[in-house]
Amino acid sequence: MCGIAGIIYRDESLVGHLGADLAALIQPLESRGPDSSGIALYTRPIAAGQVKLVLRGEAGVDWGAVQDWIEQAVPVLDTHVTADDRRFILDLTQDLPFQVNEFRRALRTAFPSLHVMSLGQGLEIYKEVGAVDNLIQKYGLTTFQGTHGIAHTRMATESVVDIDHCHPFTTNFDLAIVHNGQISNYYRLRFQLERAGMVFETHNDSETIVNYIHYQLLQGKSLEESLEALLHDIDGTYTFLVATPDKVALVRDKFAAKPAVIYEAADKVAIASEYRSLLQLSNFDPNALIREPDAGEINIWPVTTPAQTAAVLSVIGS
Amino acid sequence: MTESLILSPPTLDCTGLTTREINQQLKKLAAAGADTVDLLNPQGRHNLAVAIEAPLKVRIRGPVGYYCGGLSEGVDIEVDGPCGWSVGENLMAGRILVKGNASACAAASAHGGTVCILGSAGPRAGISLKGGTLIVQGNVGHSSAFMMQAGTFIICGDAGHSLGDSLYDGTIYVGGEIASLGADAQLAPMTDEDNALLEQQLSPYGLATQDYAFKKIVCAKQLYHFKAQDFSKFKDAY
Repeated sequence: MCGIAGIIYRDESLVGHLGADLAALIQPLESRGPDSSGIALYTRPIAAGQVKLVLRGEAGVDWGAVQDWIEQAVPVLDTHVTADDRRFILDLTQDLPFQVNEFRRALRTAFPSLHVMSLGQGLEIYKEVGAVDNLIQKYGLTTFQGTHGIAHTRMATESVVDIDHCHPFTTNFDLAIVHNGQISNYYRLRFQLERAGMVFETHNDSETIVNYIHYQLLQGKSLEESLEALLHDIDGTYTFLVATPDKVALVRDKFAAKPAVIYEAADKVAIASEYRSLLQLSNFDPNALIREPDAGEINIWPVTTPAQTAAVLSVIGS
Repeated sequence: MTESLILSPPTLDCTGLTTREINQQLKKLAAAGADTVDLLNPQGRHNLAVAIEAPLKVRIRGPVGYYCGGLSEGVDIEVDGPCGWSVGENLMAGRILVKGNASACAAASAHGGTVCILGSAGPRAGISLKGGTLIVQGNVGHSSAFMMQAGTFIICGDAGHSLGDSLYDGTIYVGGEIASLGADAQLAPMTDEDNALLEQQLSPYGLATQDYAFKKIVCAKQLYHFKAQDFSKFKDAY
């Protein structure tokens, strides 16, 4: 078992509730996953050409040396401290070579006790071992803002319990997944993806999913096409959420082995492993559409505000 | 029993109670002679009214989580809302009525009694059914009645893929379309006895047999014993 949850706001005024809503959704799911929890939030994109880098350091990390190392590679515009994390705003506008996989690998080689949590214009990932409350208290999650996000509670079955093996998993700018289930053809998939140049940082089978999607996107496929291909290529039990800057998708395997419940109201879409989680939403509407995805079903929700939706509709109508 | 119990059924508010406390309270009320209990604020909680071995009517005023009414014998449960996985799992006798949709594995391994879902049911409904009756007014998901061994499974709506896969025995009736039958399940002609049975089972729930074009599915009994010549049937099963 594991617990997954996600939120996409359709009402601009709710963005201040994201941390609180995601925390409320995963708190009841701790019974499905007591080993660790994690959250991936998407804030408004920062300025063009800039990215946020979130790093987690274990005790004894020399943050001064880390700062120097990063500044050697790329200009740093801002550094922000949150609990054990440092959030750097990097300036990628200058004509310097910057390749995301290379950068992650070089950073981990230089500082083995560092964990690269996330890289992206909107994405920020926070993870913690143990109870959900540890995560919420440590980072003050309930004050976090954002347009959409995904979250996870983990019951470890295939790999160790530590920060690196916690969900959400990310391999690329602004791409994150949370997964409930097991990947049966993990070793073969990993072998194929590594031969194709993808980089694995952990031994968690769920990392294959994000690497597979990342690979398909690199081939020029859309998220929709990537997920269609994934249903065919990835064997095992899975219900997972994948988030990008403008979309959140929910995918369920062909045997519908792992649960999910979808809540669709005028102001938001919420997804959780169990119905009882949805009751914790701050303004739960009992008349909202509540349903379960079918076996092999892919749901993709765009991240749009009502104003954007109205603008699109007016263009189509004119 | 006190007079107030007879005049209005006792209520039990789940708020602030552990699931174990709720189930113990239900058993105590049954032992004290109550015949009906209203369970308030279930909040989608798992394992409600599990292992109740008394003819107690439990009216659950809201949605429930997993395993509602499981392992019970003689209980009469009404759920005013949807229910999660495995409602009535291993039910021995009694009745569970769900006035909403059911998630996966409805009435899994039930030995007796009746589970009636007035909405639709998810995948694997009636999996390993060992007796009793499962009625679904709406549709059922894929692999329903997988390894069913006995009893009656009535689906008024449509059935998903692999209905009745590896069926041993028992009877399935489908009022709508069947996406596909599983290995060793086959259609059989409807008889007057079948129509009488459907009438008897459906009428208590206000459902009319003539509103549906029921088809009957039984076990073809081709895979009871392994024979090398049937290898492809085993290989292609599921």
